[in-house]
Amino acid sequence: MGVRARQEATFLILTALADGSQHGYGIITDVQQISGGRVRLRPGTLYTALDRLRADELIGVDREEVVDGRLRRYYRLTPRAPGGSLMRRPGCRLTPAPR
Amino acid sequence: MTDQEHLERACRRLLAWYPRAFRDEHGPEILAVLLAAARDGQRRPGLAGSADLIRGGLWLRLVPGVPRSARTVRAAVWLTCAGAVMPAASLVLGLVTLSAKGIVGGLVVTALWLCMARAIGQGRNGARIFSAVLSGVVTLALALAVFALGGPGHVAGMTVPSLVLSVLNWLIGLAAAGLLRLPASTAFFWPPGRAQARHEARMAERARIAAIRY
Repeated sequence: MGVRARQEATFLILTALADGSQHGYGIITDVQQISGGRVRLRPGTLYTALDRLRADELIGVDREEVVDGRLRRYYRLTPRAPGGSLMRRPGCRLTPAPR
Repeated sequence: MTDQEHLERACRRLLAWYPRAFRDEHGPEILAVLLAAARDGQRRPGLAGSADLIRGGLWLRLVPGVPRSARTVRAAVWLTCAGAVMPAASLVLGLVTLSAKGIVGGLVVTALWLCMARAIGQGRNGARIFSAVLSGVVTLALALAVFALGGPGHVAGMTVPSLVLSVLNWLIGLAAAGLLRLPASTAFFWPPGRAQARHEARMAERARIAAIRY
């Protein structure tokens, strides 16, 4: 995966989290929806990106749940993230990327 | 074994590509996502998904958390990975032509570059020193080869393209070693406070031994 594709994946993950906290599989489905079905993140890409974003303190763990004996970790944006506080201002809405 | 158990076992095997710390942290979630994304009756993860997991694991093993702020170190890790490309190509060439020398040489040199990249990424000062020493030795060897054996072209049986590639890799190694000597990199290998912590630990150990003796 090239740098551009990785940057786009990171951007889409942050965009998915701008709507509120979300868990791994939820981020994958959100990203698919935001990108109009074009980008389907794979778990390897998703978790290396999440790990890096966490190391850079752009996202943090919101809470953990156990569903059907499986761990679900919810992530949320930190105030440092681009859009962490910006996108939640009144009047700022997310629109799907143009196709 | 059910289909689900089959799939889970295959997924766990793939997670072994990741460094232990990452696996401990994210393994259960990744497994949950892989199982959630699986179709009914799926017994093994898809080819593209597997390749993606393996690539992510290899990447993390090579660049284990060098922070973005340590730009010079990240660049050095990148360069060292780039240095592995040429020996890897000679390894492939050796495999194609079934030359034992090419295979062994390619394998050893590729492994050396990749191990160096990994050790640098882990912040091992030994790797930094080793890269400097190695660049020095390779510089000397190349200089000797070129000047003692009568000009490039017929250097110790080397062809011109292979000499050019050797020089290129020598430059890559030199650039990486140079980047690692910069003050900005030194902070990554010797973060402030670490030297002090070591000194304090040594003093505490000395005090402990002194207390036992008397």
